[in-house]
Amino acid sequence: MTEEKKAGEVERGGISRRSFLRDAGLAAAVPAVAPIARAGEAPAPRTPAAPAGPAASEDSCDGPTMVQLTVNSGQYRCEVQPHWSLRQLLRDEIGLTSPKDWCGGLGACGSCTVILNGRPVLSCLTLACECHGAAVETAEGIANTKHPVIQAYIDYNAFQCGYCTPGFVCTAKALLDRNQNPTEADVRDALGGNLCRCATYQQHPPAVIAAAAELRRDRSRS
Amino acid sequence: MKTWKRFAHIDVGSVEQAADLLRRGNAALIAGGTDLLGGMRFEILPDYPELIVNLKTIPGLDYIREEGGGLRIGALTRLEDIARSATVRSRWTALADAAHRTATPHIREMGTIGGNICQLNRCWYFRIPDNRFHCVRKGGKTCYAMAGDNRYHSIFGALKSCLAVNPSDTAPALVALGASIRTNRRLVEAEKFWDMRVPGSTVLEPGEIVTAIEIPAPPAGAKSAFLKFAIRKSIDFPIVNCAVMVAGGEARVCLNAVHNRPWRATASEDVVRGKAIDEALADAAGAAAVAKALALPGDRNKWKIQIARTLVKRALLASA
Ligand code: FES
Ligand code: FES
Repeated sequence: MTEEKKAGEVERGGISRRSFLRDAGLAAAVPAVAPIARAGEAPAPRTPAAPAGPAASEDSCDGPTMVQLTVNSGQYRCEVQPHWSLRQLLRDEIGLTSPKDWCGGLGACGSCTVILNGRPVLSCLTLACECHGAAVETAEGIANTKHPVIQAYIDYNAFQCGYCTPGFVCTAKALLDRNQNPTEADVRDALGGNLCRCATYQQHPPAVIAAAAELRRDRSRS
Repeated sequence: MKTWKRFAHIDVGSVEQAADLLRRGNAALIAGGTDLLGGMRFEILPDYPELIVNLKTIPGLDYIREEGGGLRIGALTRLEDIARSATVRSRWTALADAAHRTATPHIREMGTIGGNICQLNRCWYFRIPDNRFHCVRKGGKTCYAMAGDNRYHSIFGALKSCLAVNPSDTAPALVALGASIRTNRRLVEAEKFWDMRVPGSTVLEPGEIVTAIEIPAPPAGAKSAFLKFAIRKSIDFPIVNCAVMVAGGEARVCLNAVHNRPWRATASEDVVRGKAIDEALADAAGAAAVAKALALPGDRNKWKIQIARTLVKRALLASA
């Protein structure tokens, strides 16, 4: 699959930043790896894709292994090296470029945030080989499902350059998944690990609270 | 962006299997990975592990349970789960607050209590990329903080020539609450769990792995509190933190980020023993906590003494 790694890249010419934010999911979710035939199938334990080397015991891997994971709505089977981060897998192999690098992988900025098995985590400090069987959501997937947090970020101008936005959106979505009615303090607390160099901070709590209200309306309609 | 140098990786099914791999060679354990992988990415240590042993695939180490009135927390329990646990908050408040004030929400969702108490000490000479300062904590001969910029370093002197501080937020809470650390070999009182090793921060021997935290039932009427001074409300490590438990005229007071190990302030405990804690008494206890503190030559870290004193006072008032 390494040959197909650029398959998910988005053509950005002529797209405004806002429509890009809204539509990124649709374009970028094109799988770079052939999705697995039967979705929902429980993956077998991950298997070494190459014989173990001298440093490793019989059942460890110092070569590539196969991991099977769900990313947004697609299932992927990927060959990963033990020293690859989840961000590397998502960006360079699957082609989802919303998880950013800002602090250089120190765990200090939150711009690489994705939702892993329901938890907002730093994809820069997560090993790809430990994601076998995992469910991952990225900002592309959140935009794709038309989650109200995306429109709320647009309505409230909760970004300027947008570089930090995918990380904020993932963190906010994970909060809304477990808290239907967050207070401003809840939002500030949950977003406490995301930095924004453009200093859009004051716009985030009202945006997330508005998204929560919209979600509640959605639920009462259905 | 710096990527990791190659390493091998194995998922283990049991603590014994992990211990066995640790004993066999140049291997490192991974739980949440936030301390380990950051350090490896920047190659802060002279040795780079050949094998990463993943503990997260061991079943049954992720739990929060009340047992016989006490609390038992599995080593792989995420800090965020501890912070949100109504059980922990109800009677072991200092620990819930300490877990909640650790790092960022993301790191709390990843980081485990076992990893938090085993994290390496904080010192910018020790942690600088590419091992540019081969200090005592890495087997060298010098503590570069001694003559360097030591504004965040120990106010209670060096331990084995090292001035780096233990940065854990949960550690002082565990000491204040009288916890013990269960490993695959023994039960260690929290107070005796930390030490200066090369490069470790605990008394764990090769092949020894933390499996659980055990905290006794707090005495009747006990109240506990945790306070942290950091530059920002989120993300940052403590400049100083403090946990206190007060019950029936007895207090347990523990500071951290002031020394190589968590620092139990027994002098403060003596001041409040048998007395009702009010503003004046708490102030005296704060003063007692830092009576033996000493700023390093140049006074760069002197500010931490005032902070430690004030945190002890405020934490005592919060638990009175
Ligand atoms: S890139 Fe900064 S936290 Fe991951
Ligand atoms: S919008 Fe520019 S960094 Fe946040």
